[in-house]
Amino acid sequence: MQFSGLRAVCIAVPLLSFASPAARAQLIPIKTIPIAQGSQFEIFPSSNLGMADVSIALPDSIGDPFVNPATTARLPGSRFFATPTVYSVSDNAGGGRSLPFALLARRSDWFGGFALTLQQVEPSRPPQQFGGGVVDLPPRPGGDPLSVVVPGNTARAHGNGYAFGMVGHRFSAKNLSVGASVTWTALHALDGVDLLYEGSRSITQRGNALDLRVGALKEWPGERGARAFEAIVVHNQFSTTHDVLFADLVWDPNRQIFVEEARVDTNYDRTKTWGAQLQYQIPLATPGWRIGWLATVNRSTHPNGPSYQIGNSGVPQDPGHSYAYNLGIGVSKVLGPARFGVDAIFEPIRSYTWANATAPVATLNGDTLPPGAPTLENRFSFANALMRVGVGRDIDLQGTNNAIGLQLGLVLRSISYKLEQTDHVQLTERAFQRSWIEWTPTWGLSLRFPELDIRYQGRVTKGAGRPSNNFFFVGQRDIALSSGMLVAAPNGPLSLTDVNTTTHQISLSLPLR
Amino acid sequence: MTVWVRPLCLAALVVTAAACDEQTPTGELPETLDVQLRRNIGQYGVVPIAAMARQDPALVTLGQALMFDKVLSGNRDISCGTCHDPTLHLTDGLPLPVGTGGTGSGAARTLGPGRSFVPRNAPSLVNSAIGLFYVFWDGRLNQFGPQGPLQLPDVVLPFDLPNVLAAQAFLPILNRREMRGEPGDVDVFGNPNELAQFADTQAAEIWQAVTRRLFATPGYPELFRAAFPYLPSSSFTFREAAIAIAAFQMDALMRTNSPFDRYLRRDDNALSVEAKRGGVLFFGEARCSSCHNGPLLGGQQFANTGVPQLGPGVGAAAPLDLGRGGLVNNEFYQFAFRVPPLRNVELTAPYFHNGSFPTLESVVAHYNDVSRSLRSFDPATLPAALRDSYHGEQATIDSVIQHLDSRLREPLRLTEAQQRDLVAFLKALTDPAARDLSGIIPASVPSGLSIR
Repeated sequence: MQFSGLRAVCIAVPLLSFASPAARAQLIPIKTIPIAQGSQFEIFPSSNLGMADVSIALPDSIGDPFVNPATTARLPGSRFFATPTVYSVSDNAGGGRSLPFALLARRSDWFGGFALTLQQVEPSRPPQQFGGGVVDLPPRPGGDPLSVVVPGNTARAHGNGYAFGMVGHRFSAKNLSVGASVTWTALHALDGVDLLYEGSRSITQRGNALDLRVGALKEWPGERGARAFEAIVVHNQFSTTHDVLFADLVWDPNRQIFVEEARVDTNYDRTKTWGAQLQYQIPLATPGWRIGWLATVNRSTHPNGPSYQIGNSGVPQDPGHSYAYNLGIGVSKVLGPARFGVDAIFEPIRSYTWANATAPVATLNGDTLPPGAPTLENRFSFANALMRVGVGRDIDLQGTNNAIGLQLGLVLRSISYKLEQTDHVQLTERAFQRSWIEWTPTWGLSLRFPELDIRYQGRVTKGAGRPSNNFFFVGQRDIALSSGMLVAAPNGPLSLTDVNTTTHQISLSLPLR
Repeated sequence: MTVWVRPLCLAALVVTAAACDEQTPTGELPETLDVQLRRNIGQYGVVPIAAMARQDPALVTLGQALMFDKVLSGNRDISCGTCHDPTLHLTDGLPLPVGTGGTGSGAARTLGPGRSFVPRNAPSLVNSAIGLFYVFWDGRLNQFGPQGPLQLPDVVLPFDLPNVLAAQAFLPILNRREMRGEPGDVDVFGNPNELAQFADTQAAEIWQAVTRRLFATPGYPELFRAAFPYLPSSSFTFREAAIAIAAFQMDALMRTNSPFDRYLRRDDNALSVEAKRGGVLFFGEARCSSCHNGPLLGGQQFANTGVPQLGPGVGAAAPLDLGRGGLVNNEFYQFAFRVPPLRNVELTAPYFHNGSFPTLESVVAHYNDVSRSLRSFDPATLPAALRDSYHGEQATIDSVIQHLDSRLREPLRLTEAQQRDLVAFLKALTDPAARDLSGIIPASVPSGLSIR
């Protein structure tokens, strides 16, 4: 099904993203629908965001402490950050804004930090390609041929809160630093979730996310620069509940009219992930050049998942688990005021999900599957790739201690997966392959003064879409999106409207002393 | 430096090339049965049925008594429940009903001397309260009639009836074949049948006479006063009896929790795989839903489905039955009959307006090639008492085919497996609670007459 401006897709594994602003590469995203995600979790400061967030061989002096707490040891001094960030999805499809405050401090060999963030996320809406508005359905008294009695959507935005804390110690004699951090998120709004329960009247989200990580940084100073080894162990726990209010159309034999009947589906989204990452950087013989490698492993379990609905395709999220890996190589050059970096990452992922019979189910050949027996098994194999390339150049303003910096970058994310599905009820097997690319140009501008750094960084992600308005009657099933981990079975095509997600971040950084 | 940069650039190129390999989907995943079925269902306005509100118990008790009391019939030998027998899912199991004067019950019921079959099949009353727009096979009673809602061209019904069910309850007692009897009849006690003495045009007098009978029967005055405590005894008419019968139908005869209904309420496991395949056909290739659509899966249209002509016939066209085409200003609908709602259809054999097809399998086979089915209809499949009333003349068959609904003129060409799937879907329309309705039969009725 191809429409102008629409992208027909198949839902396979919905998607996996992590409700952690410090995720970067330690938590490997799994995405099975080319659905646009808001930059909700990009709230912490970064010096490389405008350079496509290259990170393997190019340290991010501001952003790294939020990823690997041990790297805070590199900070020359204590700093205060404020990073107002806004993002928007094109075609009036959603957006949000965040105001984080962060403090990173060093005292002798100890270092630590904290951050607090308040965030407001707008309700996600179907893309309004033709300039139309969103019509909220008000309650209406019964008696009409179609009696609308279930309250309509609310346009009210919802807020999230983030708290980050970190502490670490540097063993100077060994050039070894260790640190630990915790990020706790109170979640009431996940961008895009509204659109994944098509036909719903309202969604109440509640939940939290916890990200614990322990990191180490070992450096070996050398003439051309230090070799660096980083190790991170991360545990991410995501738990949200969606109370989804639907208005089902039913026939009322009493009044002999169609009426709406309220139905609240409670969907649980639970994911636990353990991950580990090793990263190694060395300087090359040519002055300024460095090369780095990284290797990451994630194991995620998702005992519960919401049943989302997009279009007429149902994707009940089934229990399952995933193993995700990435192997990356990066090279960078820092020579004077110029910086260049490129990362290439390959992400093989294996996911296995299943659905269990909740009651005896008759199979096509007449057998009966007892409760608890698998009715459906899905095996997903991903071969994703990520390319990041970025350049930056600082320009000293002559005669002052001030500088202007310019940054440009490009991220290419290729997602490719294969699904093999076994249906133990219909006694069928089928396979499906799908791939697409999302690309993200980035840019940045910085003003550095002795007493203050001001950075503006932006990015726009293209190549993904969002569910658009559909005018089906009833009988649709919900399909799901998750912000924890969503691995679900594909069962049909779905149309998304291409949208762009644009993020703007202004970062203020002040040395405390 | 060169040592590292070259392989890195090469790796980058490889990754980029791999990433750029396919930007558009490599293929669409085949839709599952559920996706196909739900999409197809969504195109036809089929929605779940909400619960029927409980009716006033006193009203229901009165309606139950009236439904099964033969005192309403001229000869005191037949009740509503005779042809709408709960043990037969509120039908009689016969192609054409046997009205007053008959003996026996259910499929064993036989015509009395000098009597003839009621010309059209007795439809099940299960879900009769679901909200039918048209009542009777020709839809002559409906909510959109030219005479106004709930009115008939030849009978003046009370103007303030609350629903079509109450209006319908006025009519069988007027019908000589069904309940009223013929002039000269005597009732089961040998007394003259006073209801049969009225002319066919004296509907109001007949209803008054039935009401007099009821109030002369010990027990009924109390039941009426309990059901209508706000009415003075002197003002009771047959209207109150009809309202009570309708209340009983609304309260006791709704069965809408079939596997298909549960599927509509989002239980994917409610239907078997065969039923889902059949459902995809029903709402798709087999085109059943072009007529059987909406929340009731039918009941809103009329169609000439090429059913063999059978029975004594109706009106001026007798011994043929033109169906809705026999009504004034409806000549377009030659041989067309109401498309029935299909919930619990498995339980209401035989099928069509004259019961000419005994099983769902035979119905589906008929629809697979209507013209051929009609031309090759074998009257030996009918009960012996009806075989002689089959009108298989070539001219009759040609006339029926000439007016065949346009949706049925081309064979469907369904395979036998597809036909089995369709039957499986139709059987999934059965509410398990409709399989045994014997619980709604009262132990006794105020008249003391036998119930069966």
